[in-house]
Amino acid sequence: MPLVDGLNQPVKAGPKEFEGLHLVPVPDEEKPAEALKWLDYYRKERRSLVMAMESCVKCGLCAEHCHTYLGTKDPNNIPAGRADLMRKVYKRYFTVQGKLFGKLVGAEEISMRTLEEWFSYYYQCTECRRCGHVCPFGIDTCEVTMIGRQILYNIGMIPKLHAATDVAILRTGNHMALTPSGIVDTLDFLSDEIEEERGFRIEFPVDKPNSDILYVPSSADFFLNPDTLKGAAEFFEYIGANWTISTRITEAGNFGYLSDQTRVQRELVNRVWEEVARLGVKKVVWGECGHGWRAAKMYIPTMSDYPTRMRVPITHILDEVAAYIKAGKLKLNPKNNFRAQGLPVTLHDPCNYARACGLVENLRVDLYASVTEVREMNPNREKTFCCGGGSGVLFDDPEMYQLRIKFSQKKADMIRATGAKVLCAPCSICKAQFHAMIPEHKLDVKLYGLIDLVGAALDFKGHRQV
Amino acid sequence: MKYFLVQILPYFTVALFLGGIVWRIWRWMIARIVHNITLSPFPSNWVAAILWILWQMVFFWNVLKFDPWLWVGAWPMHVALFSILGGHVLGIYTLGTQFHLLFPWLITEAQSEHASEFLGTFFGIIFFVALVYLLVRRLTLTRMKVLSSTSDYLHLLLLLAISGVGNYMRLVEGAGVTYAEARTFLAGLFTFNPQPFPDNWFFFTHFLLVQLLMIVFPFSKLMHSFGIMWERWIVNRPYKEAPLGLPGVKLRLD
Repeated sequence: MPLVDGLNQPVKAGPKEFEGLHLVPVPDEEKPAEALKWLDYYRKERRSLVMAMESCVKCGLCAEHCHTYLGTKDPNNIPAGRADLMRKVYKRYFTVQGKLFGKLVGAEEISMRTLEEWFSYYYQCTECRRCGHVCPFGIDTCEVTMIGRQILYNIGMIPKLHAATDVAILRTGNHMALTPSGIVDTLDFLSDEIEEERGFRIEFPVDKPNSDILYVPSSADFFLNPDTLKGAAEFFEYIGANWTISTRITEAGNFGYLSDQTRVQRELVNRVWEEVARLGVKKVVWGECGHGWRAAKMYIPTMSDYPTRMRVPITHILDEVAAYIKAGKLKLNPKNNFRAQGLPVTLHDPCNYARACGLVENLRVDLYASVTEVREMNPNREKTFCCGGGSGVLFDDPEMYQLRIKFSQKKADMIRATGAKVLCAPCSICKAQFHAMIPEHKLDVKLYGLIDLVGAALDFKGHRQV
Repeated sequence: MKYFLVQILPYFTVALFLGGIVWRIWRWMIARIVHNITLSPFPSNWVAAILWILWQMVFFWNVLKFDPWLWVGAWPMHVALFSILGGHVLGIYTLGTQFHLLFPWLITEAQSEHASEFLGTFFGIIFFVALVYLLVRRLTLTRMKVLSSTSDYLHLLLLLAISGVGNYMRLVEGAGVTYAEARTFLAGLFTFNPQPFPDNWFFFTHFLLVQLLMIVFPFSKLMHSFGIMWERWIVNRPYKEAPLGLPGVKLRLD
């Protein structure tokens, strides 16, 4: 399955997932025509798509700045080339030159082969926006990838991973299909762990009515990164917050944003406001997740159909921590950081923080105050390279897994060059990718989120329970 | 035939050129900017955002920063192109006395004509050489070869042909036409009062190729000259951060 006509592809969703998504897939022979209808719809809907289709001069600048091209040397992984998979169809049907001159201007009829190529390459792009950052015109190929994935979703071509996650979102409000009892149970266990580490217990309030703060953690934290949950709890405990975690929106990420922005992404947006109303929340604090924070910060305002008077501010936990550090309210002791343990730390700037959310300097405020030694990667900040797993391309089937290793090659080289022993990646997907890639690239680093390290450096002496 | 090409076709060309540009931009404007997809670091206000867009447009900042070898060809090519366009308008309209008219106390008419000649030759050569550089780049680099379609080469060849003929007229003694001849003819076109076309085949070729360029322009990637503004308007816009500080906590920020 993963190799279709020589194309690397993730395993596709089947009847079970379609049922869960209430989606009727279009029969294969009608797919090209249907895809074309959707392309026509989106070109009249999204200016970012039209401009990406019509402004590229093929200067080739983006090639050497895209980690997927650097890793695979596949011309269709050059951002301009990847957009061209859609552009050649767009030209053929929606431009004068394409209708008149066809191949001469690079226009091409749509076919099932075209769609298979879209499916392959739009699920190799990690939507990291590095091409948008370097492009002289600011063409954001991420927009092309997103629309490409959306059209494929509409006609019933979805990777099994994304479809299954979308089903879980609709059913439970999180990616990992965590149930309320599972959430309470895990958090109780984490409270026990904190008690062992620190000698006192910190509770995780769940679904607590009349809470001031709703903390939205990534559901992956419950399995892969418990320290991130613990770090957040330590921070909220330290500042004495009246906070809670909701079992209906235990998800900072948003796979809908990465596959279906019309319905699945909206599901999580609406759940936020429903829970804000139900729990009487005054502020929503977002957990560590790159694309999720972008989906929340930049998309909720324009995507939510809840009235504005029912909305409350949404901020990121790392921004809030930075504000407290800048105000000198947190007593942090880097030397006693029991997670970093005095080892040199390097910071991975998640793409969505760096290029879409403006969360760059605050990461550094948090990190420099919490650990003894930071070694910056090069390039960093908004020039950061993707971990290679962005936009949920965390596929496990062998061919796609090999690609993940290639996509992360550049990042692995950068990490190795710093000589750091701790890798701080404040993003759930980056963490999931690194958990697998650290052994693949034989990197000698321990992996943490950022709030994990802040929490571990918090000095509770003379404060509350100690 | 020749009468049609030099006296009648230009009106259609200009109509197609201007109408085509308006049509393309109108098509862009149909679609909305749905979500805020501004690139961070965000400009703090609209003035900063527009300054940043202008900075990018004037200096090709991203090209210089991320691919200096492309900048070496692309920036001089565009600067030369705009200088040449300006030179054509001013030089022909004022018969080469534009600098005298600008600074009459500083530059005499004869000096202005010399300067006009010199700058025209200078930018003409830069333009041609830069285009050759860009063409060679497109023909030799692997990533450029796989990205390019036939039209990408044809655009470059068309520009090369136009500037090649233009340079030939300027550099070879007696091959070109004088400013006055060109002005008489063009003034005739502008005032709908046809004047004889200068009897010069190079000028004829030059004139015809430029018309071809103007017809192709709105229906090709050459529209990137306008596209950059519309694209950057989407991705370079200010963003106002939500205020920080948590409600109901014991340890307050203020």
